Amino acid sequence: MSLGTYFDQLEHDVLAAMRKPSKLYWIALVVSAAAFALGLGCWGWQIYEGLGVAGIRSPVGWGVYITDFVFWVGIAHSGTLISAVLFLFRAKFRCSFNRSAEAMTVIAVMTAGLFPLIHLGRCWFFYWLMPYPNQRHLWVNFRSPLIWDVFAVSTYFTISAVFFFVGLIPDLAIARRRFTGWRHWVFRILSLGWQGTAEQWKHYAWLYMFLAAFATPLVISVHSVVSWDFAMSVIPGWHTTIFAPYFVAGAIFSGTAMVITLVVPMRRILGLDNYITVDHFEAIAKILLFTSLIVSYSYIVEFVLAWYSGNPFEIAHFSFRAVGDYRYLYWLMLFCNGLLPLTLFVKRLRRNLKYLFVLSLFVNVGMWLERFVIIVSSLARDFDPYNWGNYAPRFVEIGVTIGSFGMFFMLFLIFTKMLPVLAIAEVKEHAS
Amino acid sequence: MERRDFLKVLGIASGGVAASGSFSFGQNKLVSRVLPPPEGHVPGEPVHVHSVCTECPAGCGLTVTVRDGLPIKLEGNPHHAVGGGALCVRGQASLVRVYHPERVRRPLYREPGGELEPIGWDEAMGRVRTELAAAAGAGRTNAFWSGRSTGSLARLIGETCAALGLERLPEFEIYHHGALRGAYDRLFGRRTVPVYHVDRADALLTVGADILDTFLSPVEFARQIAPKLEAGWPWFHAEPALSLTGARAAHRLAVVPGSERFLLAWLLRAVPARQPLPVDLLAAIPSVTREDAARKTGVPAADLDALARALAAARQPLVIAGGVSVAHGDGQAVALLAGLLQWSLGAIPALVDFSADHTFDAVGTLADARQVVERLKAKRVGVLVLSRLHGLELLDGAVEALSNAAFSVGLTDFLSSAFAGCRLILPVSHALESWGDAEPQRGRLGLVRPVFRPLHDTRSEGDILLQLAGKTNSFKEYLFAAWRPYPAVWWKQGYVERPVRAEAVKLADGAAGALATLGQAPELPAPVLVVKPSLRTFDGRSRVIPLLHEIPDPLSTVTYGPWVNVPPGLARSMGLADGDELRLGGAALPVRVLPGLPDGVLLTAVDAAAGLGLKSDPATGELLACHGGIATVKTGRRIPLPFLSGGLNAAGRGILPGDEGHHHHHEKHSLYEPYEYVDYRWAMAVDLDRCIGCSACVAACYMENNIPVAGPEEHLRGREMSWLRVQPYVRDGEAPVFIPVMCQHCDAAPCETVCPVYATYHNEEGLNVQVYNRCVGTRYCNNNCPYKARRFNWFEYDAPAPLDRLKNPEVSVRPKGVMEKCTFCIQRITHAKDRAKDDGRRKVRDGEIVPACAQTCPASAITFGNILDENSRVYQLAHSGRAYRLLEMLGTEPAVYYLSKKVK
Amino acid sequence: MAINTRKLIPFLVGYFLVCLLAVGALGWYWLDYQQAPVQPIDFSHQIHANKLGLECVFCHTTAAVSARASVPPLQRCMECHESAATDRPEIVKLTGYWKARQPIEWVKVHDLPWHAHFTHKRHIVAGVDCTVCHGQVKGEHRVRRVRSLMMGWCVDCHRSKQVSIDCWVCHH
Repeated sequence: MSLGTYFDQLEHDVLAAMRKPSKLYWIALVVSAAAFALGLGCWGWQIYEGLGVAGIRSPVGWGVYITDFVFWVGIAHSGTLISAVLFLFRAKFRCSFNRSAEAMTVIAVMTAGLFPLIHLGRCWFFYWLMPYPNQRHLWVNFRSPLIWDVFAVSTYFTISAVFFFVGLIPDLAIARRRFTGWRHWVFRILSLGWQGTAEQWKHYAWLYMFLAAFATPLVISVHSVVSWDFAMSVIPGWHTTIFAPYFVAGAIFSGTAMVITLVVPMRRILGLDNYITVDHFEAIAKILLFTSLIVSYSYIVEFVLAWYSGNPFEIAHFSFRAVGDYRYLYWLMLFCNGLLPLTLFVKRLRRNLKYLFVLSLFVNVGMWLERFVIIVSSLARDFDPYNWGNYAPRFVEIGVTIGSFGMFFMLFLIFTKMLPVLAIAEVKEHAS
Repeated sequence: MERRDFLKVLGIASGGVAASGSFSFGQNKLVSRVLPPPEGHVPGEPVHVHSVCTECPAGCGLTVTVRDGLPIKLEGNPHHAVGGGALCVRGQASLVRVYHPERVRRPLYREPGGELEPIGWDEAMGRVRTELAAAAGAGRTNAFWSGRSTGSLARLIGETCAALGLERLPEFEIYHHGALRGAYDRLFGRRTVPVYHVDRADALLTVGADILDTFLSPVEFARQIAPKLEAGWPWFHAEPALSLTGARAAHRLAVVPGSERFLLAWLLRAVPARQPLPVDLLAAIPSVTREDAARKTGVPAADLDALARALAAARQPLVIAGGVSVAHGDGQAVALLAGLLQWSLGAIPALVDFSADHTFDAVGTLADARQVVERLKAKRVGVLVLSRLHGLELLDGAVEALSNAAFSVGLTDFLSSAFAGCRLILPVSHALESWGDAEPQRGRLGLVRPVFRPLHDTRSEGDILLQLAGKTNSFKEYLFAAWRPYPAVWWKQGYVERPVRAEAVKLADGAAGALATLGQAPELPAPVLVVKPSLRTFDGRSRVIPLLHEIPDPLSTVTYGPWVNVPPGLARSMGLADGDELRLGGAALPVRVLPGLPDGVLLTAVDAAAGLGLKSDPATGELLACHGGIATVKTGRRIPLPFLSGGLNAAGRGILPGDEGHHHHHEKHSLYEPYEYVDYRWAMAVDLDRCIGCSACVAACYMENNIPVAGPEEHLRGREMSWLRVQPYVRDGEAPVFIPVMCQHCDAAPCETVCPVYATYHNEEGLNVQVYNRCVGTRYCNNNCPYKARRFNWFEYDAPAPLDRLKNPEVSVRPKGVMEKCTFCIQRITHAKDRAKDDGRRKVRDGEIVPACAQTCPASAITFGNILDENSRVYQLAHSGRAYRLLEMLGTEPAVYYLSKKVK
Repeated sequence: MAINTRKLIPFLVGYFLVCLLAVGALGWYWLDYQQAPVQPIDFSHQIHANKLGLECVFCHTTAAVSARASVPPLQRCMECHESAATDRPEIVKLTGYWKARQPIEWVKVHDLPWHAHFTHKRHIVAGVDCTVCHGQVKGEHRVRRVRSLMMGWCVDCHRSKQVSIDCWVCHH
């Protein structure tokens, strides 16, 4: 097969994925849209009634909402890692995943960004968290990690979105060429007059390189800042210096797992088996294994630090975490995040897509539990025993969480039909 | 003010203020009154009026804060000898009663078997007169049955009953002190409850008398005892169960229920007598050896020796028996022996004062009440007028028997059990809406005057009685005639002391005979159920006030009951955990495990005991408080039981006084510059040696700061709203320690740095300020508060009308979604500074600012002031060597100092 | 790429129309906001304060001693209007209220939100003239709000007078 035919076939295959959707697709879309609507309904009710309809209480002022927030920000991470960091390291296997991973990043940050709003007592005043000139002469408190969060997450969203879009431009031009009707017009506008000239490619390469370089530190910074929401506080179980690397590794771990969760079925449904191969998955699985080891190490370090500190509150808290009321969640988390991924040392399992898919689901669950355990169990047992109390989510929180998954999958499904899911230009580049 | 002016003012105040409207608060209407406000009333400024608390028989003096014609806060009247400026938890919360949505708002009448329907006052009065005449014609006795009445009302009741031919039945009180009165009658010929001058005693033995909880006049007792608690004194408290009194006594003797007679009988011989007892009397006292006493009471012999030594060594020893210890089968013996011990120790008459006694003259016992019930059952009663009857449901069959009267008239503010079946309900005004006086202790008179017009179509009991008797004068006129000889101070201070004739107290001739009739002490087999008056609802009369359910019982921290306290040993052996249902006789109650409760003793409050079928003691007429051999069955069901404490053991956590957790592990560093205060740095000192855990401060804080009542469902979810709570902690083998915790106003406040919008910040006077309208509700501040002193508004907490009018306009009502917390009563700070400015002073004087909690504290345990001022009390207390701060090792630098002798 | 003027013109027209609408809405809001409300009795400050020369505290008696300036009770009005101008229709209305012993519910012009605690006394004692916040009420027939009474406006004055701008001064 000549290169030209291969390119033609490639363009055809990838863009074919954007044609008339199958029944399965419609079912998936309707289900996720319904979940999203459920989440919106729950949120609306919560705004109307007050946060009391959720299960949060004193001392556990943050529950499932902040767990969801950290979870989704974490999911967002691997997108940037796969696109930007692996781009800088010239890892070839990245081109099979990077588009989906980037889309996942943008969508996950959008989902995550809702949660700080959802958990506010008065979400209609969310804009007070932004520094803007106002007649009251009021400013935000730059000492608060929540303000750092506002900046970190919004910066991350902006950069991810721009990076995603810039990467799309050459492919949009291909799509413009291959589509007619209204889509042609949309792609025509979105492709910004891309002609594929050498001059354009030169600028493009520079820009893409620059954005990749710009996005790379964000991989570290965003989740570090998110972790400081906890680490900067005085709560035993939160107040520790290892949180930033611990959270970053956890974020990449969970994000990579989510990429597997998304791409395995996508590849099958959209018929992209030729372009996203088992080799690619094996490379991703190695990242998963590596970050799992870092996360497991952090789990151990947390306990050692508590023991070594001699701080009675830290010691009491960590024994609560292991044997207290939330112990089942803790041990389930350890199983999902620490033990199960160790099987990836076996090459046969690394190359078994079904196994990888199931494993990734476990890791998703485990990483959600990790955030829940850190947030809830730490708050539930702080300094003064009088104030201790356990938390369990109520219907509204569960509804909103389901809604967030609905939103995520709905937007991802829409993405797969609206935009090229593979970086065609890059695949071409590697092929040649 | 001259008396005539005063009358004029009050005439207008009670007549015109409420009717002519007041400024609406937070609404966009501005109302012009018809008439100018009474002299001395400035719109928008508070007025203080003296009155008397009617929530329990103690009768503490009140100062009512009235704003724009509405009473919004109760405080103790500092001029009044009873209470002396302090109020208890019930007194503070009692204002809710006035605004209660379920109050009876108009006269109600029902045909036999029908529903209650509104009726006019004139028609209602007419009906009563007709029925009175009809019943008298039918040969039935018409009767008047009420709770304890004092002062002019008691006199008017007598006169009215005489005029109308009503028989005045013995007054009904569940806690009538019949055993004590009976004993004093037989020993000294005085059928009364003397006043115990605890303040003059230098050693004290209380037997069952929980003088800090509910016994007689707890606020007064607490005020007298607090300085001694701080100084340390030999106070022994013998009790079968556990009470605040026991928790605060220097030595708590956990006696086997029903064994108190052995303790007292032994003491009568072991402690040298100062007023010798006649030989025949001495001979009649049961002889008990030291070993017997120790074995029977379960108190170690060494403790008994210490007690005897302390009583012998004291200059003015005092013994008080009462409460649960005289309310069991052996109650008469305990009361008699205690009376003799008082005599023998020379406490009579200096410390046990029979001339200034508690006015229980017309109060009957439950034996009397039982007779009334029998007469009712025999259908011998015609018209029965009921008033202020509380706890009648505790007397078996009494409520049902009321329907046997030919016609029952209820004078009441609520359709509580005794009144629910009445044919005619005449709604009674609250004391704050009516004229009156009160004489809870002979010679101590408190003035009751209306602070506003009745909210509903109600009349005072005095007016109703006068109208029933066909008199044309009002109760006000009746009272004024009675008060004519009173001095001006009566009007100014709302209190006057009338001289009482002191009569010599002699041992009665028949005293020995009384002892001789005592039988053997009955055995109470374990487990023993102890039923006590409730700190929060007394005999159940305050049950209608939701706030009193919202404030936790200080020992168990249970809020919404009923429940039964179970000792840890029994809980272990029966496999009981908090919230497990336990069947006790006819009732099934959820369990709360209470460390410190002696094994083999179950404890519950009387307002939870309606289904238990409690009996009364035929000898004394007391409601039996100790029930032996009660059958306990774990049903296996669970009842959601809201309690607020997450744990009672705080050892090693830097919370308890003298705890090893306070030591700093390393030097503290801060990234921030220390604050430099110029004029003020507000601080608070809480004396744990004085604190008795009574929770009056909590109620005062609720009332002052418009704190909402969240309800049991919210408590079960762990969402209480109180800005101040009394946290109990238990150390092995020690009595509970109470630590009142409010916002600590830290210098390095963890909450301040994390708020993204500066809704909470540190102000130039050291206050940690919460700006409600800036708050977006991230709850980060509360997460980061080591004391969890912050409260989140989970919902919009609306009070039903007219309770919504009970609001302090100085304090913003917080909307849903914002955080709130203790402000050190910032509105009071503002007011004090305002006054200082008006007087041309640059600074506020020490003691000029009194937060609501400190104001009401009967033990004066809370001191507030400027810690920059080295002469201020709070400075001196904070530097007294007794001071420590909660979780000091965290480096939060709190401004609340806790004082305890245990701090080294 | 050449600009397509054919499409540009309708776009620009649309754009400016939207801007105009937004400005109009804002203006309408502000005009309405500053409107003098219709009161139950058409009381004229101009006649009482300007023509007759009554001091503000003649009617608003507690301005210097209380947090609230207070509106006069009907009795105060009737002190004069028992005899003065009794035939005017508005006075007839007033007499009607008086005879019926019915309080008048004025519409509040200077209204503060729930979270702001203002005290007249401190401002009057400090020598702040009524007009600083209420404008020239004397010159107006019907009172309207001339100052925004928004927080920034308060803070500006507090800053310039060097008095406390601590939040809790007003918010507690």
